[in-house]
Amino acid sequence: MRIEDSEQAEEAVSLAQQAEWQDITPIEQDEGEGSMCPIAYTDEYRELMGYLRAVMAVGEVSERALALTARVIEENPGHYTVWVYRKRLVEELESDIAKELDWVSEISSKFPKNYQLWHHRESLVTRLWAPSNAQSVSEDQRVTNPVLRRELQFLGAAIDEDSKNFHAWSYRQWLISTYALWTQELVFVDTMINQDVRNNSAWNQRYFAILANRDPSAVHFEADMAKSEIEYVVEHIKLAPNNDSPWSYVTGLLLRHAPSMLYTDLLPRIKQLAADNAYQAAMTLTPFYWSALLDIYEQQAADHPDTKKQLVEESRAICDQLASETDIIHCRYWNFRKTSLDTC
Amino acid sequence: MVVDLELNAHARYFKFCLNMLPAEAVSQDASRMTVAHLCLVGLATLDRLNDSLSETQRASMVDWIYEQQIPRAGAYAGFRGGSLFGPHSSCTYAPANSANLAATYSALCSLLLLGDSLSRVDKRAITSAMRQLQLESGTFVPHPGTNERDPRFIYCACAISAILDDWSGVDKDAATRYIAECSNYDGGMTQARFQESHGGHLYCCVASLSLMGRLDALPDRRRTLKWALFRQSGGYHGRTNKVPDVCYSFWIGAAIEMLGGHDLVDLGAVAYFIRQCEADIGGLAKWPGYRPDPLHASLGIVGYSFCCPEKFPRMSPELLLPESVLEAHRARQTQT
Repeated sequence: MRIEDSEQAEEAVSLAQQAEWQDITPIEQDEGEGSMCPIAYTDEYRELMGYLRAVMAVGEVSERALALTARVIEENPGHYTVWVYRKRLVEELESDIAKELDWVSEISSKFPKNYQLWHHRESLVTRLWAPSNAQSVSEDQRVTNPVLRRELQFLGAAIDEDSKNFHAWSYRQWLISTYALWTQELVFVDTMINQDVRNNSAWNQRYFAILANRDPSAVHFEADMAKSEIEYVVEHIKLAPNNDSPWSYVTGLLLRHAPSMLYTDLLPRIKQLAADNAYQAAMTLTPFYWSALLDIYEQQAADHPDTKKQLVEESRAICDQLASETDIIHCRYWNFRKTSLDTC
Repeated sequence: MVVDLELNAHARYFKFCLNMLPAEAVSQDASRMTVAHLCLVGLATLDRLNDSLSETQRASMVDWIYEQQIPRAGAYAGFRGGSLFGPHSSCTYAPANSANLAATYSALCSLLLLGDSLSRVDKRAITSAMRQLQLESGTFVPHPGTNERDPRFIYCACAISAILDDWSGVDKDAATRYIAECSNYDGGMTQARFQESHGGHLYCCVASLSLMGRLDALPDRRRTLKWALFRQSGGYHGRTNKVPDVCYSFWIGAAIEMLGGHDLVDLGAVAYFIRQCEADIGGLAKWPGYRPDPLHASLGIVGYSFCCPEKFPRMSPELLLPESVLEAHRARQTQT
């Protein structure tokens, strides 16, 4: 039953007047003195909660209890134990899980920032298709399986609605990891980055898509991966040089997985870009370019102490420029960075 | 620096919220304990708590908080988020009446803010329940029966343990290991490995480590401090390429304090942004011109106090409490 339908059908008649509920005495809330932050409940919510307390108190398992939990969740999805109760009801009543997932989808469009509904979803999906069973088919078959297809559609819609919805991206990582949907994920990530090159959730997902599924035995993974990622990043820096995401992505990636390539491969590419007439002005003005140079020089000086003196000198000049012109709001940090250069 | 926050308007706002929340706040019904804590912290930062609430009012509030303590021991022990679960005596189905780590944390802080000595707190029950809420991976769930798990609850567990001065409920090694895995490629901290760096989780990870005395477990403290500092673009935003939100004045601001970066912030710019978020009716909103709410009001004001500490009671960055309240609590603890 859709939320709106149920509201129209049941709102008209209070529970106290419904034959189905005649045997239940609602349990009142016990406020007492010194009540802190009491809420001016509507009569409807007060009544719903009175009946919910009555059935939850004894752990009643019934369709009417299930329907009641839906109504309460639709008012207050932060009620943390009603989700536990609902999960039990869905299991013991052997409810149609596909319908339950549809209901969760409706709740999430009404309450996009609620935490609990995503975890409820997780438990439903694993019941519907155990991850161990999913392993026996190919990724192509997994992606077209109705269970996962529905989840990917749902996630697509949620991310469409809010491209940076933290819960959606987080749930997506759980889904992709649990059901090994890695190949399609890299495609999805690329689409999202091209939709909005400043979407940091998408760039973060790129790191996840490439590294979380890494095969430790793959030879040359680091070098090959780093080279292609540098190219990818440079192409996207061109679209908007003053954009934190690709810069922190590539410097972070290389620092962790191929530090020497910071200066052997990334450095020449970004210097080339900064020398290119089409990008020179934008590159000079963005703090991220200069900040990346500092990180690169730091690594280079650490690896090649013979170059340290000259790199520190260049780095000091960059810190001065950032503090006085390019990134004034962080000037205290850049001055501090300058003083710590010699001690690196 | 001139303090031109509308102190009286905000004090009135918190008092108003403690007295009553509107019907639309029903989605907070299970987190009233947290909202109450935030209002008390707001008043305490403004140094208006004892002016705003009489001794009788404070004593009644203390009683109300203790009313939310689950009377039975076991996995559900601690404090619940509100009275919505009904009278304790009516529940034979245990999961219907459960504590929650966030509520327990807020309850303890609120009791301390109201001048209570925690003498009626069943500490043993809380730490025993807590042990059952920690997963093998080191993270925590907030209450039994859920698979919700993340650094917010590691933080609550650590904060509770620090306040009670009893760490038997936390496997510090496992929690530390989990937090270390939350270090991201950009230096930020995440909800779980590979997820996006987020200011709220930065706070929870750094504060947990700080409370456990394990800040040195941060894989790259320098880069983490840098990540936090670079969330400033005027006010603070919580994730790369997002807009400033006043609550990060606390999540990011406090993390920077703990990481020793106070002198590296443009405090004037943060303070300016926070003032832009003041609402005419009192309280602060997440963005300038938006509606206020207790969370943004409280965290904005505590965050403001980090910008001009000499003008406010000193606030702990690790726990949402004034240092003076913590010190009084520690003094009482050493006496017993």
